[in-house]
Amino acid sequence: MSTLDAHASGGHHEEGSYLSGPPGMISRIWQWASTVDHKKIGVMYLVAVLTMFFLGGVAALAVRYELLDPVRTVVTQMEVDGVMTEVVSTTGQRLDPIAKIIGADDANQAYNRLFTLHGAVMVFMFIVPSIPASLGNFFLPIMIGAKDVAFPRLNLLSWYIYVVGSTFGVLSIIMGGVDTGWTFYTPYSTSTDADHIRVVFMVLAAFILGFSSILTGLNFVVTVHKLRAPGMGWFDMPLFIWGLYATSIIQVLATPVIGITLFLLIFERVMHIGIFDPAMGGDPVLYQHFFWFYSHPVVYVMILPGMGIISELLAVHSRKHIFGYRAIAFSSLGIAAVSFLVWGHHIFTAMGELAAILFSGLTFLVAIPTAIKVFNWIATLYKGSIAINTPMLYGLIFLFTFSIGGLTGLPLATLSTDLHLHDSYYVVAHFHYVMMGGTVMAFMGGIHHWWPKMFGKMYNEWGGMLGATIVFIGFNITFFTQFFLGTQGMPRRYANYVDEFQTLHVISTYGSWILLLGFLVHLVTLLHSLIAGEKAPANPWGGLTLEWETESPPIEHNFHHEPVCTHGPYDFDTVVPPHCDPKDYPLPSNPGSH
Amino acid sequence: MMMPVLASTEPGYFQKLIFGGDAASRAGAQSDALFMMIFWFSVFFFVLLMGLMVYFVFKYRRRPGVAATPSPSHNTLLEIFWTVVPSSSMLVFFVLGFQSYAEKMVVPDNSLELRVTAVKWAWDVKYPNGATSPEQQPLSIHVDPDTGVVTKGLDYPIFYVPEDTSVQLKMVSNDVIHSFWIPDFRTKMDVIPNRYTGYGFHTPTLTEDDIMADNETIQRDLWIFCAEYCGDEHSRMAATLRVVPMDVYQQKISDWGKPKSPEIEGEQLYNQMCKACHTIDGTASTGPTWSQATIDGVQFGYGYDAQLTDGTTVPRDDNYYRRSFLDPHAEVVVGYKPLMSDFNGLLDEDQVFALIAYIKTLSDRGRAESSEETENTEEPAPAGSES
Repeated sequence: MSTLDAHASGGHHEEGSYLSGPPGMISRIWQWASTVDHKKIGVMYLVAVLTMFFLGGVAALAVRYELLDPVRTVVTQMEVDGVMTEVVSTTGQRLDPIAKIIGADDANQAYNRLFTLHGAVMVFMFIVPSIPASLGNFFLPIMIGAKDVAFPRLNLLSWYIYVVGSTFGVLSIIMGGVDTGWTFYTPYSTSTDADHIRVVFMVLAAFILGFSSILTGLNFVVTVHKLRAPGMGWFDMPLFIWGLYATSIIQVLATPVIGITLFLLIFERVMHIGIFDPAMGGDPVLYQHFFWFYSHPVVYVMILPGMGIISELLAVHSRKHIFGYRAIAFSSLGIAAVSFLVWGHHIFTAMGELAAILFSGLTFLVAIPTAIKVFNWIATLYKGSIAINTPMLYGLIFLFTFSIGGLTGLPLATLSTDLHLHDSYYVVAHFHYVMMGGTVMAFMGGIHHWWPKMFGKMYNEWGGMLGATIVFIGFNITFFTQFFLGTQGMPRRYANYVDEFQTLHVISTYGSWILLLGFLVHLVTLLHSLIAGEKAPANPWGGLTLEWETESPPIEHNFHHEPVCTHGPYDFDTVVPPHCDPKDYPLPSNPGSH
Repeated sequence: MMMPVLASTEPGYFQKLIFGGDAASRAGAQSDALFMMIFWFSVFFFVLLMGLMVYFVFKYRRRPGVAATPSPSHNTLLEIFWTVVPSSSMLVFFVLGFQSYAEKMVVPDNSLELRVTAVKWAWDVKYPNGATSPEQQPLSIHVDPDTGVVTKGLDYPIFYVPEDTSVQLKMVSNDVIHSFWIPDFRTKMDVIPNRYTGYGFHTPTLTEDDIMADNETIQRDLWIFCAEYCGDEHSRMAATLRVVPMDVYQQKISDWGKPKSPEIEGEQLYNQMCKACHTIDGTASTGPTWSQATIDGVQFGYGYDAQLTDGTTVPRDDNYYRRSFLDPHAEVVVGYKPLMSDFNGLLDEDQVFALIAYIKTLSDRGRAESSEETENTEEPAPAGSES
């Protein structure tokens, strides 16, 4: 791939960077608020999802804090006015002060609201939109050589819908929060806090956020189909684009189902029409089928873009053609297809035997394309020229944590072992290894990889690697312990537990503090980069995809002239990276064949 | 019904580390063995992959001016190989998982059937003779020998089952979805409001390890947890399953099945069903306290008026309590939420009467009324009424 014009960065001055704008605060804000530029929208999404990540993270820390010790009743014999009296007090309810603030009756209720807040915010407001809406929005058009997404205005609308949806979520939290769990299982969710509107608000938030997700997905599908640069066939696309494409298809097909389901839930709560509540003639398990018909595919909405990022990071920073390009691309589509057939594995304990057996078999199918991807990534490193920097470190961390996440899924797909592990901390650990160890690690890697391109500033590499190392350690301490909690019998969503689980809970809580420290190091490093970072070159990593051909940060219309695709995204042994000194990225003397 | 056990039944070091101990049933041991098989499979591939990754990162680390060595970016044979190996392994796990699932679900026809009813937030287990267990124990008691300070966990009910017996659970919920998990049997099933669910297990045979400190009792306690989130007191919806010799079990259920005075039966019902939300020591909780007490200036107890959320005031008399059990959301006391499970259909007339009789013993006005009745009918005072 190379642009037709030979302008090096800085060669063209009549069109400024997308970050430059009119003077004056108000016109600057208006310029951002009314922009249809996918890059600005991507940055706005990035700020929004990271804010939600912070909010969900605080709730997680509070939840872990409550779990430092079980609730105990202490009876002390005391002499009061010459009479021996029993004084009873309770210890271990650490969220009592927070309960007062959020209007909950006690620590138990506060805990239930906080874990719901953590789940709902992290799933609906952070992890689903995280990579596609921020990095995807910013880089999908540039990486296929387009000026923008196919429907720029629709793109801005998606962002506003996201903000409106999140506002409903935050409103519900300010009004005291909900205690349904992020899954809103009926009939609990249709009966709890019956005199309050906040449950409706939280469900409405998820409903509205769904529209944002559908519109973004639609936009991406059309963009990939219609706006690829001349010369770029389907198999010349970077794998990040394949990941986003597969994701978008799931978003468009699955999200309407959750929309309808949540709408029915609101119907039942507000108008008392019996759909899920048996007291009104409904079926509670029906809700679970509807919910997981969306929420299982959406797990792949969360992970596929992350897998796409990992393919980019590993290839660029080891200067190797990705191993098995087509296998990775097709496994993304394969995962997307199979993901629609496996929802039942979330409800093995609430369905008939025959259905459970069928879903168990289908679930194993997902493991195969996922395993293939991991093999391909490791094979990519073979005989590479592997740089150790923050993005690569996150790539390696991903391989470590995601492999654990994937392998620990096997006993959950296996019917008999799942009966024990279902709804236990084992599931919590597995889910976090896949979602946090997978998606969040990939997201962090992607942010560092593309940071110089997005903001035109380099970050401190040592700061980045220090943060990544601390996050890695904290993550494993927090969540590895939870596998053992689960196998030994600790149920999830418990504010209180029996004594034998305390040691593991304490270790896990300490881990969460280390994790916090790691993210703070990242925050400081990235803020420092924005304020005092070195100016980034156009192509700091020697990448071959199109985003590295334009300036850092990119100009408003991405490219001075429409780029033409002349080489594959990973042809590191035949192409000198644009804007790079060939001495830094030498070509092999006898280029191999692909 | 014999099923082939996958591996040696003697658990290894890692199995003990992971599960904290042996499974208490054969089906559980079988599923643990399957778990360990998947575990070692996973460890093998994880170590292989991570070993390769670390080796590559070290061996092929970037050196200035040195290019990556070209190597093929595709190898059909290798790719077919690493597709077939996981696929066939998955097939094996699926089949073994299915077999072991059958072992957990299927129970012999002549099993002991226990009826489990879940309410927010308690388990009710009914034995074939209609009895229920009145027993409970605090979780862990620790008395400091120097200060005399007693530290104990919350109280949980105890359900008894005989050793070496096939047990079948027939479960239904009275309100939201719960899940009945016995970790030592490695199995659970959701308890759903509109249909029966259930599973079976074969209780273990007691051994010398199960002899208690008093050298007389032989029993084994297993945890029961609610595994499906069900609201405020979800984490307190636990119980103990106590495995005892058959004669002890039969003695227990026949004792429990004998008729009792209403006050005693009411107290038992309170401990089984009501305790999670209502106190009898006058302290605040999820629901109003049952005893005669003043909390923040508000009077509670039988015979005293209740302020309702709709602004009206009603006297706490027999019919007030009856309505509160059978249609709890019709009258809600100020400061409380309509959270209570509807006990209509779950409590029969005798039980409603027993609960009210017990509540009366907790208030001076209730006691006064009972003794009047007693005088009028010239019956002996029921036990507990004058305490």
